[in-house]
Amino acid sequence: MNTKVTGLAISVSLLAGAAGAEGSLALYNWGDYINPDVLTAFTKETGIAVTLDTYSSNEEMLAKIQAGATGYDIVFPSVHMNDIMIKLNLLEKTGINAHPDFARIDPTFLRAKEDPASEYCLPYAWGTVGIFYNEDVTGPITGWADFFAVPEKTGAKITLLDDMREVIAIGSIMTGASVNSADPAELQAATDYVLSHKAAISAFTYEVPPLLSSGDIAAGQFFVGGNVFFTETPNIKYIIPAEGGTMYQENICVLASAPNKENARTFMEFYLRPDIAALNVAQQFNGTPNLPANELTPDFIKANPNINVPAETMARLQIFEDIGAALRVYDRAWNTIRTAQ
Amino acid sequence: MALRRQSVILGALLAPVTLFLGVFFVLPLLIIAVFSFLTPGLYGGVEWAFYHWNYGRIFGWADGIMEVYEPIYLRILLRSLIFAALTVIVTLILCYPVAFWVSGLPDRWRLVFLFLITLPFFSSLIVRLYAWLLILKPTGLFNTVLMNLGLIGQPLEILYTPTAVVLGMVYVMIPFMFLPLYASVDNLDRAQVEASLDLGANRIQTLVKVILPQTLPGILGGAVIVFIPSVGNFIVPDVLGGAKGLMVGNLVEQQFLSSRNWPFGSALSMIIMAVVLTVLLIAVARARKVGGHA
Repeated sequence: MNTKVTGLAISVSLLAGAAGAEGSLALYNWGDYINPDVLTAFTKETGIAVTLDTYSSNEEMLAKIQAGATGYDIVFPSVHMNDIMIKLNLLEKTGINAHPDFARIDPTFLRAKEDPASEYCLPYAWGTVGIFYNEDVTGPITGWADFFAVPEKTGAKITLLDDMREVIAIGSIMTGASVNSADPAELQAATDYVLSHKAAISAFTYEVPPLLSSGDIAAGQFFVGGNVFFTETPNIKYIIPAEGGTMYQENICVLASAPNKENARTFMEFYLRPDIAALNVAQQFNGTPNLPANELTPDFIKANPNINVPAETMARLQIFEDIGAALRVYDRAWNTIRTAQ
Repeated sequence: MALRRQSVILGALLAPVTLFLGVFFVLPLLIIAVFSFLTPGLYGGVEWAFYHWNYGRIFGWADGIMEVYEPIYLRILLRSLIFAALTVIVTLILCYPVAFWVSGLPDRWRLVFLFLITLPFFSSLIVRLYAWLLILKPTGLFNTVLMNLGLIGQPLEILYTPTAVVLGMVYVMIPFMFLPLYASVDNLDRAQVEASLDLGANRIQTLVKVILPQTLPGILGGAVIVFIPSVGNFIVPDVLGGAKGLMVGNLVEQQFLSSRNWPFGSALSMIIMAVVLTVLLIAVARARKVGGHA
């Protein structure tokens, strides 16, 4: 934590010194989704001052950009939002795939359907959504069935994320459907599955790390990045559910309205460097599409199969796609789930 | 001549305010009203085609294909109204006696108390609500104290219940109820209270026939100021209600920030506004009636 604070202090001072000389770069990213040391290193090497604003959902970012927010250069949309933003002509073609270092990117991460060759965006980072649990209370857990049984078995509490797609995805996975299904019958089955466990769910919340640390809940659905809070607590574990889980991937994209396109391109090239991608992983605890970077990450990350995911685990992960107009059916299902007694 | 100059000056003084309200209040309101009758865009925003299903899915007509009528929206609205009404009642019961106590304090202490009441505004609402989360959770301050005192054996289930939501809203709204109440209590004609008691009315009669009517403008003012933001509140149910006890404000937020359905969010906002306006009109009518009698 201390190094983080000094890192920030340095970046602020660099910012002040360098702003005039090499110009600036405005990032618009998810909260806590980039290691501040990466930004400090970037400013130190290039003299470009970096500012960082944050958002908490793809839709929040899209709504602001659509409403005409200007001044941002780079955004970090999830893959399905990357597709939407290309369809809406909000992104700039960068040609980053022509850079010689682009060969370091694992081609399985070129997931954006509208950008199959990465002419626009650079795959940034990916991670999984699984279950954090306090093994002292719950005993061993392997997946969703064990997870939902915790309250009845132990009297302890469990929580799910306050996220429409992630919660309904559990129902889809458990009823054998795709997490992107637009089929009304499949969605109904998924909704019914979640509803049948509604009584076991204490809350829909993102406050999993503090509530789990204090013992107020025994297990919760959360992002792999939550591991950063539990390196010193061997009883709190993270698993990717045996029945299946979801994964996310965000890409580095330059906005069509970006005022500093040159600097944005410089940042993308900087992030192609394995040492920089690894520096980010060391603080974020998620995956990187940069192949050589995986060799440079700290040992405890490399050795944890729930963070550094092997191929057979990868096979049971699904990623969200844009579901277009079917989003309205999801919205209704989500309202039903949240208001059910 | 002088009159005309006066009205010119008055116009000049009012122009900036009128312009400000026009641009920052009336115009956004019009946009919401118009959007609520438009077709939702696939990726947020609107398509410029008339669309009445935004209201239909709330009030009972829908095409059954893209839009489905579901009574849960009216239930959520009703629930929001009940929570807001409860907040008004609890804050009123808490603040009314305190307002009398404070107005009887020596000047210096009165100022200290009024300062204390406004003190919460100095820190962020989100931070204060997270503090409540820490107080109410099973291993939190409240349960720990009660358990150490031996009053309860098991932690009480408060966090992530409707009780926590109402408690949180009461906490947030207390200053808004107290200040108008205090103003009217402070203006209460004490001679009339004494006269009523001297002339043989008992304490309850005096309260009902003298004190309540005189402080009614403060009660109504506080009630309106507390009720309006309570109906649309979405932060308290999110943080303390565990996003389960949906209020209509949560629904609006969700339409803009995750479901990309701006017109439906606008329609819900218009309905909140209609409810609030109705309450306001009733309150104003009551206040006029009371004012007429006095």
